[in-house]
This record gives sequence, structure tokens and C-alpha cells, in this order.
Amino acid sequence: MNQKIIYFPKDGQPTIIANEWQVWDGERDEGGIPDLEHGLHKVLVPFHWWITHYKNADIIERANRGEIGVWFAADDDILKHADLIEEGKKLWPVVGAHFPIFRDGRSFSTATLLRDRFEWQGEVRAIGDVLIDQLLQGARVGFDAFELRPDQNLDVALKQFDLFSVVTQNSWRDQRATTAA
Amino acid sequence: MYKYDHIDQTLVDQRVIQFRDQVERRLNGTLAEEEFRPLRLQNGLYHQRHAYMLRVAIPYGLLSAEQLRTLALIADKYDRGYGHFTTRQNIQFNWVELEQTPDILAELAKVEMHAIQTSGNCIRNITSDAFAGVAADEYIDPRPVCELLRQWSTLHPEFAHLPRKFKFAINGAKEDRTVLLCHDVGIELKKNPAINNGELTADIYAGGGMGRTPILGSLIKQGLPWQVLPSYLTALLRVYNRFGRRDNLYKARIKILVKALGPEEFARQVEGEWAQLHNEAKQSKDNFTQAEWERVAKHFTKPAYQKLNTVSNEVILAATPETERAAFARWLDRNVKSHQIPGYASVILSLKPHGTVAPGDATSAQMNAIADLADQYSFGELRVTHEQNLVLADVEQTQLLHLWRAAKNNNLALPNIGLLTDIIACPGGDFCSLANAKSLPIAKAIQERFDDLDYLFDLGDISLNISGCINSCGHHHVGNIGVLGVDKDGEEWYQITLGGEQGNDASIGKVIGPSFYANEIPDVMTSLINTYVEQRTGDEPFIETYRRLGVTPFKEVAYKNNGKHSKGALA
Ligand code: HEM
Ligand code: SF4
Repeated sequence: MNQKIIYFPKDGQPTIIANEWQVWDGERDEGGIPDLEHGLHKVLVPFHWWITHYKNADIIERANRGEIGVWFAADDDILKHADLIEEGKKLWPVVGAHFPIFRDGRSFSTATLLRDRFEWQGEVRAIGDVLIDQLLQGARVGFDAFELRPDQNLDVALKQFDLFSVVTQNSWRDQRATTAA
Repeated sequence: MYKYDHIDQTLVDQRVIQFRDQVERRLNGTLAEEEFRPLRLQNGLYHQRHAYMLRVAIPYGLLSAEQLRTLALIADKYDRGYGHFTTRQNIQFNWVELEQTPDILAELAKVEMHAIQTSGNCIRNITSDAFAGVAADEYIDPRPVCELLRQWSTLHPEFAHLPRKFKFAINGAKEDRTVLLCHDVGIELKKNPAINNGELTADIYAGGGMGRTPILGSLIKQGLPWQVLPSYLTALLRVYNRFGRRDNLYKARIKILVKALGPEEFARQVEGEWAQLHNEAKQSKDNFTQAEWERVAKHFTKPAYQKLNTVSNEVILAATPETERAAFARWLDRNVKSHQIPGYASVILSLKPHGTVAPGDATSAQMNAIADLADQYSFGELRVTHEQNLVLADVEQTQLLHLWRAAKNNNLALPNIGLLTDIIACPGGDFCSLANAKSLPIAKAIQERFDDLDYLFDLGDISLNISGCINSCGHHHVGNIGVLGVDKDGEEWYQITLGGEQGNDASIGKVIGPSFYANEIPDVMTSLINTYVEQRTGDEPFIETYRRLGVTPFKEVAYKNNGKHSKGALA
């Protein structure tokens, strides 16, 4: 995992901050979610895992402490689970959307739907194969946090957000410039 | 023609800076080739057989003389003195250096041009009718809609990494000159008093395409008010982005999704998504506004036409010196099209002189000459056709003779538009790294075989399309005669399809049988053409004869007289 993330709130500036969330793939740690006492205290669990485990008492307890968020795989059809996600609004401080490979753009639509359809107000974090040159698109569709692949240069990444001062379609962050002209 | 305002210009200038940075990171090794690839493709930069190739966008095929001069300059300064106009109304430079591409983009930005989204898995350059705004059979000038959608799709964040490329075509004329049904989305513009009070609406066709699995698009929505195009197309693309196949490159186009679901189910899913997007609270935000329409449409007004009378060809010819009359008459017949405005005509400059290097190629000298002709005869504007020719859209009929003479001097006046030698061909094995076979020598050999203009004239309209591989860049599926390069045990072979057609009766051609060697193709063509000549009734065009008789008589002669499979390639 990357020790640092880029955090770029909707009405703020992009900054580099410490990463407080570990992403768990749902596979290792057979007994359940990773040991929160010895690792990071907060964990993003796969949404498909959440679906089958969210009624467990220990999970509820940790979720109530704000230590659990979920991440959506690129092929999760989040519209099929609207009720769970509505409930999750009160529970998850952070949700992630995963890029299995940088050129898979499904999570751009996932983020759009989270913001637009679910009116998700909390953090939406890009995870997985997140590269410098996806940041601009991600920021516009609804991501406000980016855990980049560890080999990416965060200083170069941070400069991306200044590249464009105009856009020609509406998105979560901005209205198209062409209506103002 | 569209003029950039500060928004368009800022965007394109900033894009140059972005791409320069990406190239620098590639060159200093911090960006891996595999990760640079989609970025360069979204800037039209391919790696071909011999070198990098840059594809420059010509939105809906419209160019100014000044822009064409810049293209000529780029050809001279950064390439080998020529460019290649493509079936998607773009231009390609075959020999550019990676290091120099940012400079080329900066050069383009000075004349309101770019290479954004001319390739890659995103919404590609939008194509339209090369005769938009002037064609006599046009009921709506599609260009304002093209331009609004060009802007909407430019650097669209949600659809930057689709499963595959995505192509729009937009038509507003009675005759379809856009190959509408072979696009991922075809938009047919309408103004029908019975729909939406006669306001501009769009019918949407989805799921067409060529390539490995050629499919014609299906009508999925009718009478969509133009203002809601952004939300409807967002819904459509979102369904595709989320559910298009990503496991198999060959099954990733939207046509496969539409086919798998069935057009009705696909339409239903889009409708469901659209209902969410297009509710009352949100629609005012996403809809195109009247102000936006006016912002772009004011640039597509008519040029300063003179008040003239229509002149008939007889009158024009009567005033032509006798020595030139026959040749000029041919050109009038094939290369000159009727116009909306009395006294004007549109002229097609043929980029297919017989024996050319490649259909659609123009040298920098030709480009400069064409720019001058556009200034002199056609309000400084021109268009690129998807048949890989150029059009001067607004020529005074009384100037046609002068224009013809000037075009002749630049080898641009061959009267072969729509004829057998007006071949559409991809670059094939001479340039393209994906090719199975060469296509350019085949085109050249056919042009050499059918060099007699009287004979070609007598044959009338026949489209011949050649692709070097199944990707179908040469549109062979919709050629009346299609030639497809195939690979068998490392050797180049050619498969023939018959019965393809573009336009309102679009159809996909059928393979006639086993493939041929390169050196057999001219004879095969001769056999096919002779059969047509023997069998046609009156003025019946090739495609009609084929539809009447079916494939059998053509197939028989193709294999009876040829198909001996004597080895050999064309030079
Ligand atoms: C560097 C050279 C080129 C490469 C690598 C290339 C690559 C491809 C590929 C991979 C496809 C297949 C897409 C599919 O799966 O359907 C394709 C299709 C196509 N290409 Fe190219 N191409 C090249 C040059 C050209 C040129 C020169 C033209 C125009 C003259 C062109 C126009 C087209 C068109 C019209 C299609 C049909 C796609 C459809 O709508 O189904 N390409 N090309
Ligand atoms: S059809 Fe094949 S050979 Fe021809 S340009 Fe396209 S990809 Fe290359």
C-alpha cells in the first residue's frame, strides 16, 4: 500500500496526507478482517464481503467505531445494491472504487453514480492501479482521494490538477465553461 | 466554419502542455511504454510498422485554407512532405518523431486544430456529411450539433477509458453520406412538424461497426430533442462503459453488447439510466442551452453568396472551348455536385489519380495548391470526404472551368468520383503494423488495369474498398466490391466480398469464397466487371445487378477464370 494519499476535497486544494486506510482484498486473514490492533486501524473491505458479513456483531461494532469502509470492484453493479449503500451512508466514512488496471474506466462510472445517484457526501477514494494520468478524470467524476500505485511520483501527481482551467462538460466538480460564455 | 473562442483555445493550448509533459515523462523513463500507450493514442499517436504516425482531427471534415497550409507545413517540417486523408475525415502523418509531437500539436493549436481523441478507447472524432450546409438534399445543417457534441466529448472524464473505441456519425440529409449505420452511434437529425413542435430532434442508432464482426446499427430512440443529447448519450455510454465486455478485445465494441442484449433490451437499459439522469431537478443542468447553440451556430452561417442564376451544364459546356469540352463534361458529370444556392456547385477534388501512391494521399505542394484554390473559388474553406477526397463546397458555376483547369495542373481533376478507381483503401502492410497484407499495390494494380476513362464512365457507380486486415479501416464490408487482406501460413492472400453498400440502403457484403493471390486480383476484377456488363439491363448500376442476380454468376466467373493460385505478389 501507499503510505501517502492525495486528498482533494471538492472545494479545497489537493494535498498529500498520510494514508489511514488499508485496503483488504477479502482473501487473506481467513478468520475475518485484518488485525486492526497491529496494523492500521481502519480498513476498506470488499463490498461483496460486506454483503455477506455485515450482520456479524464484531463487524457492526467496528463499523460503528468508524473503522470500516467498503470498496467497490470494477464489476460491482452498485445499482443492484442500492439499499445497502443507502444504509452504508451512515456507516462508512470512506468508500473506495478499484481500478484493476489503469485503462479500465468502469470505476469512473461507479464514482459518478455514487455522487450523482446516491448523493454520497463522504470520501470516495480511487484505489488499485491508479496512475498520475488518471487523476484529472478521477477528480472530476467524484473521487476526492487517491491512493496511487506506490511507484508513482506524488509531487508530479500533485501538479496534474492545475493543468486545465476550462472544461467542456459538466461533472461532479465543475460546470462546463461553455454555458458561461 | 467554427471559430474557437477563448474556451476552446485555452483547452487546446493546455492540452499541448499536458501532452508535452507526458512525452517528457516517457522519454525520461518515468512513464512506461505500456502506460504511455493509451495516453499517446488519445492524442492520435500510433506506433506503426516503420515509425510513429500522428492522426490529426478534422472535426466533421471541415477545414480552412489556413489550416490546410499548416498541415502542409507540418508535412514538410516534421514528415516526408505528404499527408494521408482517412475514411474518418482525419489526416495522418506517417513519419513523425515522438520528441517532436508536442511541437506539432503546438503548431496545430495555432490554427485551432488538435489530435485529441483521434484514437484510443474513448469517443473519437465526430464525423458527418462532407456536404453539410450545402448539399441540395439536406434538410438540417448538422454542424452545430456536431460541434456541440465535439465539445461535450472532448476530454470527457467518465468515458476516457471505455472498453473500446467509440465513433459517432451525424447526418442531416436525405441521402446518407456518413455510413451512419456502421458507427457505434449514428445520429439522424430531423425536423418533423409532428414531433416536438417541429423542433430539431434526433433519432439514435446504436451498435453498428465494421471490423471482425460487421453489424449495422439498430434504431433505439426516436424524436429526442437536441437539447437532451448530453444526458441521453451519457446514459448510453454509461451502460456501455459499465457492461461492455472487457475480457476480449474482439468482443468489446458496443455492437457486441447491443447484439448480446438485443437492441430492445439495450434501449430499455439506456432508457432506465436516462430516466434517472433526466429528471426535472437535473435536466436544466445538463441540457444544451439555446445560448450554447447560438454560440456555435453563429459560425455555421452561409458565406457571402452572390445573387446568381442557376446555369445548366449545357450552357456551361457551350461556353467551353471545344478542345476541352469532352474532358470537362466528364468532370462536371462526376466531380461536381448540386448545391442549395442557385448559381453554386460543390466540387470534389480527386485524391485518387490513377497510379497514385495511396488513395487519400496529398503532397504538401498539393495541399498548398488546394488551399489557394479554396481561397480563390470557395470562401477559403474545404472538406474531407470519408471516401478520402477533398471538396470545395461553394464554387460559382461560372468559375468551374477555371477551377477545373487549375485542379488539372495539380493532378487533382481526375473525373473518377464514385467510379471503380475511386478506391477507398487503408495503408495496409506498407505502413500499418496490424496488416495481414498490402492494400496499396492492389489499389494501384486495379487502377492500372481500369485506366480507360470512357470504360469507367460506362460502368458507372461502383465502390471498391480495400482493407489490409479484418479491422476494416478501408471499409471493405460496405464496398460493392470489397477486398480484404488475409494471412495464410505467413503469405498474403485476398478475400473478395460482394454486395456491400453505403448510404440509405447500407448493407454488408458477402464473402464469395476462397481467397486469391495478389497478382490474381486484377483478373478477378475484370471477370466480375465483365459479368456485370454482360448481365446488366440498361443503366442498372452494379449493386442492382448484383442484388438481382445474387452472388452465383459472379462467383462462378471469379473462380473459373482465376483462382489458379499461381504464386506471386504485386510489386
Ligand atoms: C496506424 C494505422 C492504423 C491502425 C493501427 C488502425 C487500427 C485499427 C483497428 C485495430 C481497428 C479495428 C477496430 C475494431 O475492432 O472494430 C480499426 C478500424 C478502423 N479504422 Fe483503423 N487503423 C489504422 C489506420 C486507419 C486508417 C488509415 C484509416 C482510414 C483510412 C482508419 C479508419 C478505420 C475505420 C473506418 C475503421 C472501422 C472501424 C469500425 O467502425 O468498425 N484506420 N483500425
Ligand atoms: S485495416 Fe488493418 S491493415 Fe488496414 S489500416 Fe486498419 S489495421 Fe491497418
